[in-house]
Order: sequence, then C-alpha cells, then structure tokens
Amino acid sequence: MDTNTKLLKKNAFRVTKVRGVTASRVRVPGGHLKAEYLSLLQNIAETYGNGTVHITNRQGFEIPGIAFANMPAVNELLQPIIEGLGINQQESGKGYSAAGTRNVVACVGNRVCPFACYDTTAFAQRIEKAIFPNDLHFKIALTGCPNDCAKVRMHDFGIMGMTEPQYNKDRCVNCGACVKACERKSVGILSEVNYKVERYADKCIGCGECVLACPVGAWTRGEQKLYRLTLLGRSGKKNPRLGEDFIKWVDEDSIIKIILNTYGYVQQYIDPNAPGGKEHIGYIVDRTGFEEFKKWALKDVQLPETAEVYTPVYWKGVKY
Amino acid sequence: MTHNEYKPFLAEIKDVIKHTDKEYTFRLTYEGAVKPGQFFEVSIPKYGEAPISVCGINDGTVDLTIRRVGKVTNEIFAHRAGDRLFLRGPYGNGFDVGSYKNKELVIVAGGTGFSPVRGVVEYFARHTQDIKGLTLIVGFKTPADILFREDFAVWKDKMQLILTVDQAEEGSSYQVGLVTDYIPKLSLKNAETAEAIVVGPPVMIHFTTLALLKAGFREENIWVSMERKMCCGIGKCGHCKVNDTYICLDGPVFNFTKSRELID
Amino acid sequence: MGFFLAKDGVNAVLERWRDDYLIYAPVRMAGGGPYSDTDSIQYGQIHRVEEIVYDQKSRYSFKEILLPLSQTLFFFTEDQIKEAEELKKGAIIFLRSCDLHAVKRLDQVYLQNGFEDYYYQRLRKRVKFVLMGCQKAFENCFCVDMQTNIIDTYDASLEENGDGYVMDNHCAEWESLLSKYSLRQLDVRPSHVTETNVHVEIPPGVSIDVAKSKMWDEYDGRCINCGRCNFVCPTCTCFTMQDIFYTDNGKVGERRRVAASCMVDGYTDVAGGGSYRKKNGERMRFKVLHKVYDFKKRFGYHMCVGCGRCDDICPEYISFSHCINKLGSAVKEVDGNDA
Repeated sequence: MDTNTKLLKKNAFRVTKVRGVTASRVRVPGGHLKAEYLSLLQNIAETYGNGTVHITNRQGFEIPGIAFANMPAVNELLQPIIEGLGINQQESGKGYSAAGTRNVVACVGNRVCPFACYDTTAFAQRIEKAIFPNDLHFKIALTGCPNDCAKVRMHDFGIMGMTEPQYNKDRCVNCGACVKACERKSVGILSEVNYKVERYADKCIGCGECVLACPVGAWTRGEQKLYRLTLLGRSGKKNPRLGEDFIKWVDEDSIIKIILNTYGYVQQYIDPNAPGGKEHIGYIVDRTGFEEFKKWALKDVQLPETAEVYTPVYWKGVKY
Repeated sequence: MTHNEYKPFLAEIKDVIKHTDKEYTFRLTYEGAVKPGQFFEVSIPKYGEAPISVCGINDGTVDLTIRRVGKVTNEIFAHRAGDRLFLRGPYGNGFDVGSYKNKELVIVAGGTGFSPVRGVVEYFARHTQDIKGLTLIVGFKTPADILFREDFAVWKDKMQLILTVDQAEEGSSYQVGLVTDYIPKLSLKNAETAEAIVVGPPVMIHFTTLALLKAGFREENIWVSMERKMCCGIGKCGHCKVNDTYICLDGPVFNFTKSRELID
Repeated sequence: MGFFLAKDGVNAVLERWRDDYLIYAPVRMAGGGPYSDTDSIQYGQIHRVEEIVYDQKSRYSFKEILLPLSQTLFFFTEDQIKEAEELKKGAIIFLRSCDLHAVKRLDQVYLQNGFEDYYYQRLRKRVKFVLMGCQKAFENCFCVDMQTNIIDTYDASLEENGDGYVMDNHCAEWESLLSKYSLRQLDVRPSHVTETNVHVEIPPGVSIDVAKSKMWDEYDGRCINCGRCNFVCPTCTCFTMQDIFYTDNGKVGERRRVAASCMVDGYTDVAGGGSYRKKNGERMRFKVLHKVYDFKKRFGYHMCVGCGRCDDICPEYISFSHCINKLGSAVKEVDGNDA
C-alpha cells in the first residue's frame, strides 16, 4: 500500500494504530450544529467506519475504523456537513482541508446561556472564515463571559466576552443585589455611595453579574460587543502555562486582525527545523521577545477607544 | 391644592434631658393638639427622618425621648437647646386618656418602650383623683439603662411603682426580674374591669399580655403600642403594614383584640 | 365618540398631544434585556404610534410614571428646603385594561389612605389614560378571573384595525382634534380578552389563619428575595425615604423616595436592630395575602389585577397564580389544625 500520509493528514484523516485504517476528523467551528448532521455522521460511521464516533476535545467528531480506500467516499458524504457548517474548503467534494490550525472552539454562548455576552459560535465561524485552511499551529477558543467555561486561557488566543455595564441611577432602588452579586460571584468592585451604586471601572471584568442581578433594569449591557483577549496559553510537554491578558475591552475586528497579523509573525520567525513544521507560538515569542510580537500583532490595528493594552506581558507556568 | 404633608416644619429645642449616653429627651416647641403615644417624624435634612413617639406633653412643647441608634439619631444628638429640628406630625392615634378614667389601670413597659406611654402616666400622676388605682411596672436591662429616674422619684408616692431590672450586680438595691414576674402579684380590686397598657419589644408584649390574661384581665381591656419600620407615617410607604392594618394610621395603639391578629 | 384613523392621522394626533403632554407607552428597548442580545419591553416616551409595542406585555408596568422608581421630594441647601418641581407637562399613558384597573389601586393608597400624597396627586390630576385593547391574553395573564379584563374609565382607547387604527374617545377636549385627523366616525369598542390560559380561584374562606399553613415553607428555599415580583407589579407602591449629601458639595443634598419591596432584605428593619418576616416564605405569604386577601379586607376589592408580570419575571419560576390556587387546600389544612 502506498499512501502519502502528509496529504492524508491535510485532508483531515488520521494515521491510526491499525495499518490501512484511518479516522475521519470532522470539525465543528464554534461547536454548535444542526442536529440533522448527526444522522449524516451516523451514516458514515455505520457505512464506512466501525459504527462508533468519538467526540473530540476540540468540538469535533472523529469517525474511526475507515479503510484508506474509502476516504474519497467518506469525503463525498461529508460535503453537506462542510457546506452547512460554512467550512472554508479548497475543492468541493474533497473533504475537509486541515492541518496546523485547530478547530475554533466555543462555549455554548448566548444562544443558550444567560451569562454569555455574545454569540460565541457566530464569532467562531467568523474567525474560521478568516483563517482557514492554514498549516500553522494556532489554537483559538471563545468563551461567553469571564467564567471561562471554554478554558480559553489554555489557547494561543483566548476570547472572553465582556459587557460594559451601563448604570441608570434613576432606576436604582438601592436593593443591594448588584453589590452583593459582584462581591460574591465576581471581583467586588461595586459599592454603595449615597444609596446609589458606584463601579470601580478600572477593575471591572465585564462579567455582567450586576446586570443579571438587577431586579429593576437599572443595570443594562453596553451597546458595543467587547472582549478580553488572552495570549499564548498552552498545554504540551515543555512548559505548559495559562494565557495572559493582552487587551481588554477590545472589539471583534481588532481581534481578527491581530490573529491574522500573528500568522505573518509566525511565518517570519518559526523555527525552520520545527518537527512537522509546527511550533507553539509561545516558544517563538519567548525567542523574539514580547515587544517584537506586539509590533507585528498590532500592525495597522485600529483599536477602539475602550481598549486597554497590557504591556509588557509575562507568562508563568510549569517548566520542565 | 393638596397640602404637602412630607414638608417638615421647624421646632426649637427648649431643653435636652440626658438619661443615659444613648437616651436623651428633647423638649421641642409645638403648639398643636397632640396625644401621648402619637409620634412625629423628626428629621435633619441630608441625614433623614426617624419616627419618634411623644413621651411628654407640656404647655407649648412636646417631649421626644430618642435613643441613639443610627445615622439620623446620631445627628440629632449633636443638637443642643436653642438649635432647631424639623418635624412632621403628629401621626397615629395615640392613647385616649379619657378611656382609663375612674378605672384601675396597670401599665407595663420595657426600656425605651416606656416613652409612648409616659404621657399617660404623667397625666394620672397629676390627676390622681381621676383614676381608681394606677400600677406602673417598668423594666430595664440593667440599672445603667434606667430612664426617667426623676419621674420615678416623683411618681413613687402617686402610684404603685415597680421598677425592675433584668440583671444587676450583687448587692444592688434594685429589684431584679422580668416585668411578667410581677403580674401575678398585682393586688387589684377587680382584674375583670381593670385596664392594662403594654409597651415594649414584641417578645415582651407577647409574654406580658399572656400573663395579664392569666391574671384575669379581659382581652378588650388590654392595650398595646406597636413599633414598626415607618418611612412616611401617613399610610403610603407600606413598611409598617401588617395584614390590613397600617400601624402608622390605625395605630400605633391597638386594643389587644386587634393586635393579637396582627401576624407579621 | 369612536374614530377610524390612518397611521398618519394617529401620528398627527400624537404630535398635537405632545404640546401639552409627555406621552408614555410600552416600547422596545433594543438590547435592554438582562441577557445579551435581548430586548426589553418597558415604558418610555413615544413620538409615533409605530413605537408602541402591542404584541408583547411590558416587563415593567406604567406605575413608574406615576411613582418613579427614584423620586426627589426636596432639595436641601444650607438653610432651605425646596420642594422638587413638578413636570412642565402632563402625561398621557398608554396601558392595558389590567393596568388601568391598577390605577384605581394606586389612587386608593395614595389619595384615600390617610393624607393625600402631594407628589402623586399633583401629577395624577394631569394624567390621561389611553387604553390598549387586548385581542388575546399573554402567557401568564389571569385578568378574566380577577375581573380586570374590561374597563371603561379610559380617556381614549387605541388599537390597530385593518389598515388603520380605531379609537374610542371619552375626553371632550380631544373631540375636535380627533374629528379633524380621523378618516371617519364609527362605533368603537376596545378589544378585551374573555379567556386566559391561566386561571385562579381565590377561596372564600381565606383568613389570616392561612399564615399557619405549611404551604409557605416551600418558598423559604425557592425564593431568592430579589423583589422582581414587586418591582414589576402595577399595584405594588411601597417606598423608602433616603436623605443624602451630594458627594461634590456636602452642604447641599436631597430627600428622595425610592421603590421598596417587601421581599427584599431590610424592608422591615427598625432602627437599632430588629426585623420581621425573616424567612422568604413569610415574605411570600405577606405579599400574596396582601394581593388577594387583606387589601380587600381594608378597601373592598382585590389588589391583584392579574397582569401576570410577577410570573413572567421570576427567575426561580415561582408562580404567583399557582400560589393563589394553593390557598384553597391551605384553608382546609389550617381548619383541620384547629379541629
């Protein structure tokens, strides 16, 4: 059997333990899909696979037990899913294009969750459109609010929804619900002054607990969708670490531009001898220094007035 | 045009009588009709208002005994004779002194709860011929908490006065015991026709009325004065409402047949 | 007199009304809901009839106009007390039948329970009400059972009808204006609902004895005492007084009143400590019995108007109407206790 494993992998199949048997890897950007696609996956698994499906860590499905020979047939069956999920595809009917950049992951977001500050899946799909397919090893995750259920700080780019609470003091009845909620569930930056509430804006993390707690609608959400962008968290063998804050109160357009700029930066500075042509961005930044990264990342980015950039950024983590 | 009942008027402090560090009586100018057990909203602009019951009525002045417990009363305590305070009121029904005339009357009071009924005691201390027999049982926590010492000194010859404290150091000359301890020992000509007034904290009112009933008092002859949070004093703010009753409008003085139905 | 008006005609009328009145109606506050990307239907000033939301119930009621959530009563300078000025204009309020019935309850407390309330009265006498006919009941409405589904004490009514609007006018001073801007006269009867999804039955034997029922215990754990049920209720009118110094100039300040809730901590706190109804179940009982028992005992009719807003908003899914319907067995339960 002669098979180009490099091409196989680029087509979102896997080299498995069993010779000649592969697994199809189906990405779902933002992790939310129409239920009808599940029956298509079932069909593939039962027709060409071993009748099982693995739910992946990055919000995909892996259909194991597929003979190499059946890859073209599987790709054809995948086509309606690929189209339905809005995946950037190079050639219709030829399956997923995949490589270094991983599926963009999102928590359930405001389609369901009351805490979420935005539609995480929609933003994930927008990022998908902007960056796929790409060979470089980027991991991006989105979470609806600072609870960070999606654990975005484990990713190269972590996107955390924020809401800038708007206070209408004429509606406030000083019931204390927001102050208590902020104190108990969040960072405790609300205080009562003259029977009204003051917010220490510098320390506000934009979780929206005050808005949710307010029984009279004195607190509402800001019109603008804003985010906290965290940088270069990672797992892995050498130096796992949590992502650190890069910009808070930043907008969607700036985030996408920063991610795209980072692809340019990585192309420039990636270790040419990196195994498999893949290197965690963090190791590259460790080499070039943060300032060089920042220069590239923020090139031509028009940050909104609200944005606060953290600089310099240092990472901690476990070193082996 | 509706009168703005929320707008307070000025009253001059004629005298300040200090009972303890925390309890002063302010004698304020007031010319209108007023009954013991009614209350005024006393206020200091920018600090707030506090409902304070009338504890003494004199010619051209009223006495308000105030306990220092918060922002407003703290500020009131900074005022001296010659200064002025803002008032609204008087509000509430108050005690009808006439209804106790020619009867045996027992008054049981706890702590500052004594204030609303003090005017009744004072009236009958001045008009001893109007009452068949007057017994006053007043309880305080400790000797240091005793208010109106001068009054008691004057009154002890005009009525049967029982001054008791919940606790006192050994060797103290004060009687020690709860007010309820003295009710079974009352010597009345006829408990069935005697009237009783009970003022104090809710728990004290509860046990005192039980003891009075046990001693043979009739329900309709027992009167209580109730305290609740009040913001307006005029039946609007809702804080003092209990069931269908507004303490500020319909009370604070209630016959026991009514007050026993007031379940908070 | 009834009128048929085109949309432009209604807007012309609104424009003329705005010379003398601020016009309030339920409007859509885009993004105003507590969750992201959700709207809130609540009262706001309108200029045009299209802004009025007819197809949804407002989250908060009209009462915020007559009794603002936070209302300054006096301004204090160093030695003066100055009464807060009244609005330059009167107000026209668009509301539904249940809410217009609620106005009667507000009047009862603010004009007839003890002294007339100066601030309420001075605005109230300059307010006119426009009834929004209801073609269908919303999810938690129970107006029919509370007998608040029909009313005729409006100044005018307005609802969409075919390619225009129909209005029934009771206000003599508007008659010529409406004649001018309407297309024709006709007999108009505002829509009202005759059936609701939710039904309530207030048992005849309710007395304060039901306070002893175990039915209230359930709410100790379920209720979070947030007060939303009170704040959205068109008949809840409690307030708390607040005096303040302005932080930028401590010599001046104000006295205001803000809406209060009998479900929220602190409602019964007396100076120096002490409070009543510490358990949420007790607070629930206090509120429920006020709405369907003791208000009637004092004033002769029930306080609750069956708008269902409390059910709509409770984050813990506690249903007031469901609670009313448990009173019957609670009455039997406490009767049994006594036997």
